Amino acid sequence: MVNYGGDEVSALVVDIGSSSLRAGYAGDDTPKAIIPTSYGYLPAPPDADISMLDVTEGKDPVNTPKFAKIYIGQNGPSIWREGMEIGNPVIDGLIQDFNPIPPLIEHALKEVMRCTPSEHPTLVTEPTWNTTANRERMAEIMFEEFNVPAFYIANTGVLNAFASGKGSALVIDVGQSMASVTPVVDGFVLRKGLVYTALPKLVHAHARHTLASPTQSRRAIELLPHQLISNKMPIEPGQSPRYTLREDRMQGTTESWRNWAEAREVDEWIQSVAGVLDQGWNDQYAASRPAKQYEFPTGYNTYFGADRFHVGEQFFWHSPQLASNPSLPKNIPALITESLRACDPELRQVLMGNVVLTGGGSLFSGFTDRLSTELSRTFPHVRCTKIHAPGNPVERRYGGWLGGSILASLGTFHQLWISKEEWQEHGKAIIGQRCK
Amino acid sequence: MAASAADVRSALSIPDATLAAGPSQQKKPAATPAARKPEGISRELYSLIGPSAPSIAAQLAKPRLKQKPNLTGGGKVKWEERPFKNAARKDGLELRHWVKASTDPAAEYPFAKYNVPPVSYTYSQDEFTRFLEDKEWTKEETDYLFNVVQEYDTRWYIIHDRYSYPEGTPRTLEDLKDRYYSVCRKLVRNRPWAGDEASRGQLISTFQFDKERELTRKKYLLSLENRTPEQIAEEEALYIEIKRLEQNERKFKRDREDLLRTIAGIDSGLPDIVEDDGGPLGITVDTKKLRKKGSIMDMDSPATPSALSISTPLIKRPPTAKNTAYDAQHCIIRTDLSANAPATKAAHQAAYIRSFKLPVPKAAIAPKIAQAFSELGLSHSRLVMPTRENCAQFEALLEATTALVETKRVVDKVEYDIQVLKGQLGMRTSQPAEGEDGGEGEDAGGGDSKTNGDSMEVDDAPENEDERAQSVVSTRSGRSRKHVSSCDV
Ligand SMILES: Nc1ncnc2c1ncn2[C@@H]1O[C@H](COP(=O)(O)OP(=O)(O)OP(=O)(O)O)[C@@H](O)[C@H]1O
Ligand SMILES: [Mg+2]
Repeated sequence: MVNYGGDEVSALVVDIGSSSLRAGYAGDDTPKAIIPTSYGYLPAPPDADISMLDVTEGKDPVNTPKFAKIYIGQNGPSIWREGMEIGNPVIDGLIQDFNPIPPLIEHALKEVMRCTPSEHPTLVTEPTWNTTANRERMAEIMFEEFNVPAFYIANTGVLNAFASGKGSALVIDVGQSMASVTPVVDGFVLRKGLVYTALPKLVHAHARHTLASPTQSRRAIELLPHQLISNKMPIEPGQSPRYTLREDRMQGTTESWRNWAEAREVDEWIQSVAGVLDQGWNDQYAASRPAKQYEFPTGYNTYFGADRFHVGEQFFWHSPQLASNPSLPKNIPALITESLRACDPELRQVLMGNVVLTGGGSLFSGFTDRLSTELSRTFPHVRCTKIHAPGNPVERRYGGWLGGSILASLGTFHQLWISKEEWQEHGKAIIGQRCK
Repeated sequence: MAASAADVRSALSIPDATLAAGPSQQKKPAATPAARKPEGISRELYSLIGPSAPSIAAQLAKPRLKQKPNLTGGGKVKWEERPFKNAARKDGLELRHWVKASTDPAAEYPFAKYNVPPVSYTYSQDEFTRFLEDKEWTKEETDYLFNVVQEYDTRWYIIHDRYSYPEGTPRTLEDLKDRYYSVCRKLVRNRPWAGDEASRGQLISTFQFDKERELTRKKYLLSLENRTPEQIAEEEALYIEIKRLEQNERKFKRDREDLLRTIAGIDSGLPDIVEDDGGPLGITVDTKKLRKKGSIMDMDSPATPSALSISTPLIKRPPTAKNTAYDAQHCIIRTDLSANAPATKAAHQAAYIRSFKLPVPKAAIAPKIAQAFSELGLSHSRLVMPTRENCAQFEALLEATTALVETKRVVDKVEYDIQVLKGQLGMRTSQPAEGEDGGEGEDAGGGDSKTNGDSMEVDDAPENEDERAQSVVSTRSGRSRKHVSSCDV
């Protein structure tokens, strides 16, 4: 047991991202509970009584959210309900709205994992650019509402490095809303070298635009989710779809749900069709790659050729007219260059030798190959750049959680927990002192 | 199916139904005691031979096999969930973990021992004003620096990253290191020191930091990054070329070794081919170091790490004192490959057994030498103990003997000539020539003393030496002895 340094104290690890909340036991290799961070809710009428809430019952009325009912988990947002709005507490990687956080964590820990949080020390992750107020609020929620015996908040950059077995690494995390490059040295983030942008959102927007606008060969595609379609007919590729809308539902569908559902359609299309060319853009090469067929919930289906590579290209290259827009998120090579420039020249070699690629956005087919092409092009003086990118999609997407799982099951880590006693004695200040 | 029914019956030792149809009832009580199968005899065999051969059974007793090893160490291990306290924590947090029930519940948490607080230096106001004043650094900022260093355990990159002294001048990593290490050095130097000077000097040297050198090194590093693609391509090409050469060399070496093994049948003690040393290959040393840089970089080391661009190339196998002592202790004698000999086929010398290389006397004088050796009671062709020293002495002895024999031959010849000439002279004139002879005889004593200086340690006694010389050269005079000794010296 001392040999590999592990000592499990049945700690819990909670990793909250924009797309999903991951929770599980430290020491496991996959999270037990993965629930969408988006939640459905019925807004409370302005004068509604707060007692209508079942999940926050008996809790401090100051924290009472503005919704009357909340739907969380696999059967939360994805089930159509009349008048249900969709919310997401995480904006640009940071938790902006703490109201739904306790119900979300509670759902994951109690409903899905069926465990009692008050019995388990809990490690929560945070993005590197998290604010002090945010992490202190998180600690407060865990201690005061979940009554955990001990708590720790760790940085996803560091955890991703740990998940790939490295103390020093350049962590490239492409998530749902944010792409970030974080230099990690000896288990600490170099804050000056941290850069992040909302690049994945741009890619998503590009994909949505691609689908929603007509081309010479096809019409604009309606991104109707299957919840709004009562039946459809099989049709030939490229033909106009024949389907029946669920008119009964159209009335009660909210704007935010519709948006969420369409975004999901786009994501699904991206995940199954989109890709990136591994050698940089080349019209002929893009055209020579096989086209992929994809069918939308309306029944409309067609082949996507070069289009599908344009989407991934946004990660690495922006057309000049697009690039002239100063608010455009920087692409990945630019992010890496910027991050490295902020690091000590001596460290650059070390970091470039330990590139860790993580996050669901990096699962784009061809992403790793393209990244290594770009790296050798942008940094010709760096010889063997090794990219550590787990082939297992679970490991890739939940690297932050996995790192937390490793960290919280190390024997030497247990002296770092902030215990309830310490929290009561020192208050919020202890968070900053302990979790550096 | 019928067969299997019979099997079952026999397995259960039930008598066959067809045979036992009638008499089974009366037979049964009688059969049961007798049918007891003796131990160590298989059922099939027993059903064949029946209870009639008890004598065999004794010999067929079950062989005693070794007991199965108990791999799990006592069968089941009981684990239990126990609360534990961590001595590395200041509070009383109790976590729970699973441990073997056999472990001592009072034992200290095994991971607590890894909590090693870093040594930190503090100084008083008085010390600060006396030796640590620096116009660049206020006491407050120095205090702040020491706190950060302490907090991040001298991980300099992180210290530099987190260092933000309000309204202070921006500091580079080198500024921080320089200040920190210079303060530490001054503190060590000016404080009373309990140990000896050497250990103090050693401690100070761990705080050595050469800011200028570090800056130059960084500049070099940056210039490496600013190489043009052409330069990099060229370097790459050279690198590949060198790799190719090295590979050829290695292949060549391997082939040769194979060849030697096939021909000589013994392992050839081939010296390693020097692959990355020497003038024209110097460039690889650099690039290789560059490559390794990332992995070996010692980030915490306060001493100036050897810079890749400034460092001197490594000297191959420097003969350290430790080596020499080790060699002496283990009777290892290193033969120096002549340093400038190229590692080529011609210059190579295979391993050999020392006694094989003992010199052999020239065929013409071999019998005489053999005679001389046998007079000494030695064998001229074999050494019982061919150690290095013995071989060397044997060689020297052989050389001396050869010289002696040669000289004697010359002397004999000259004397013969003299006699012949004397005879001729005597025939012409009847005048004798005795004076010369006596004069030379006087030198005999000097010759002896020189012979003693000879380093034949086989037998040190000078008088013996003298006798031997005489016996070899037969009876003849001091004059010949003188010649011998001068040859020896
Ligand atoms: N096979 C795939 N191909 C392309 N994209 C994918 C694939 N699988 C998942 N994704 C995308 O990955 C994103 C989710 O990644 P991840 O789980 O790392 O995000 P997150 O950590 O929740 O978000 P963030 O880090 O921005 O807070 C989604 O946008 C999803 O579309
Ligand atoms: Mg993420």
